[in-house]
Amino acid sequence: MIEIKNLSFHYDSEEEILKEDVLRDVSLTIPDGEFVAVLGHNGCGKSTLAKHLNAILTPSDGSVIIDGMDTKEENLLLKIRQTVGMVFQNPDNQIVATIVEDDVAFAPENLGVPPKEIRERVDWALKSVGMYEFRDKAPHTLSGGQKQRVAIAGVLAMLPKYIVLDEPTAMLDPFGRQEVMRTIQTLNREYHMTVILITHYMDEAAKAQRVIVMDHGNVVKDAGPREVFSDVEGIRALGLDVPQATELMYELKKAGIPVRSDILDTDECIEALLKAI
Amino acid sequence: MLKDITLGQYYPVKSPLHKLDPRVKILLVFAFIILLFFVQNFVGYAVFALFTGIVIKLSRVPMKFMLKGLKPLFFIMIFTAVLNLFMVQGEHVMFRIWKLTATYEGLRTAVFMILRLVFLIMGTSLLTLTTTPLALTDGIESLLRPFRKIGLPAHELAMMMSIAIRFIPTLLEETNKIMQAQAARGSDFETGSLIKRAKALIPILIPLFVSAFRRADELAVAMECRCYNGGENRTRMRELKMHANDAVASVIVAALIGTIIFTNLFPLFSQFAL
Repeated sequence: MIEIKNLSFHYDSEEEILKEDVLRDVSLTIPDGEFVAVLGHNGCGKSTLAKHLNAILTPSDGSVIIDGMDTKEENLLLKIRQTVGMVFQNPDNQIVATIVEDDVAFAPENLGVPPKEIRERVDWALKSVGMYEFRDKAPHTLSGGQKQRVAIAGVLAMLPKYIVLDEPTAMLDPFGRQEVMRTIQTLNREYHMTVILITHYMDEAAKAQRVIVMDHGNVVKDAGPREVFSDVEGIRALGLDVPQATELMYELKKAGIPVRSDILDTDECIEALLKAI
Repeated sequence: MLKDITLGQYYPVKSPLHKLDPRVKILLVFAFIILLFFVQNFVGYAVFALFTGIVIKLSRVPMKFMLKGLKPLFFIMIFTAVLNLFMVQGEHVMFRIWKLTATYEGLRTAVFMILRLVFLIMGTSLLTLTTTPLALTDGIESLLRPFRKIGLPAHELAMMMSIAIRFIPTLLEETNKIMQAQAARGSDFETGSLIKRAKALIPILIPLFVSAFRRADELAVAMECRCYNGGENRTRMRELKMHANDAVASVIVAALIGTIIFTNLFPLFSQFAL
């Protein structure tokens, strides 16, 4: 379980403008096995929040506790980073080695895992993201979506309990986005991994069990995706969009057609439209 | 221009040479290079040529590929040869041009110099052509490990090398992108004086450097997230292991060393040395 208690954060800086709080009194509890999406426009503090989850940043005030381990304790650093895996936006800047399987082996090698077990972990991690056939390829010959899956495998090889993804699809083409989203959902459903997905794509957030919306360093909404997105006005006021299907239903309803407004994806949308006809 | 970079070029075939332990290979190439400077006569060079020829055949790297590696150094070889031909003092005068005298001793040194350079390049390219960059850095790390006691950061050096190799294609791609972006806005890299062309490179280098620093920063965070904390207590998935063929290779190189010493000592052979 991840417990964030009254977390506030500002950068230590001489300049006044940078001293402003990036996170303000954030309190959240993320139980094991959940798939959480964090939404918000640029500069709302969502990436800063993510960096607190594996002690890349430590709170200015309040605390972040991962499975009972406080991120402020330096001797727990490695254990925390191994428990909470982190994937970033640009796959090119997270791949260390010149061969796919060596990159996946990087984290377990750092942790001092015996060679035979590293091999097993690497094979397992590559299989679970569907990149096993590419194990002896050079990373620069892969597509963006494939590289990002390798980056995810690289984190999985640490056998983390939680995986935090900071806009993992932002630099990918639509096809790559789909690949990565499918992988993330598999991790959550089949491997029961707790997933914290930071994104600004609404249709990705709609796939989560819980959506947290942030604005100016505060958590402004925290509920299931249906509940969050059914408040179309409120979401728009925060400078965000709702998923296309939700928007269509919202507009239809406004035009006086009796349809459900808590629609998230295309399938539900078709069903609701058929019912209305 | 950017395609010609051959750093860490690897020729992916299966051969007895590819299978050798990188540590053994590095040490043997070192021995080969040092030995090269002890060769004093043509018999010695003939032995070297035979040896190199057989090793190239064994490596299954095409001869054409090997010769391509010599091309960039063609000018240096000619330059050293000409310099030696005229500069070496000797008694047997071959011919004179203006104030320069070419002697037979000069010719001999010039030919030896060219041979030495050719074998030097062939030996080192055989190492990089038959060893993956990764195995090479692993080998260097392992060989440098004993020097850690005197403060040599062996692991860090190897890590830096492998990251540099990893980012060559990424940065090349980026350079091309920037060049295209600048060309699209009317930049011209091909015409004009040397100074003008050098100046045209500045708008490419600045964004490239900025992006390289940003990448380095992100990579450092990503590495920390994957529990990287230096070389202490680190294990490796692929462990370097020596096999019987490594011993065989060492014996063969030892035999080569013996042969060269023999050709140097035996007076009969030294007669061939002009």
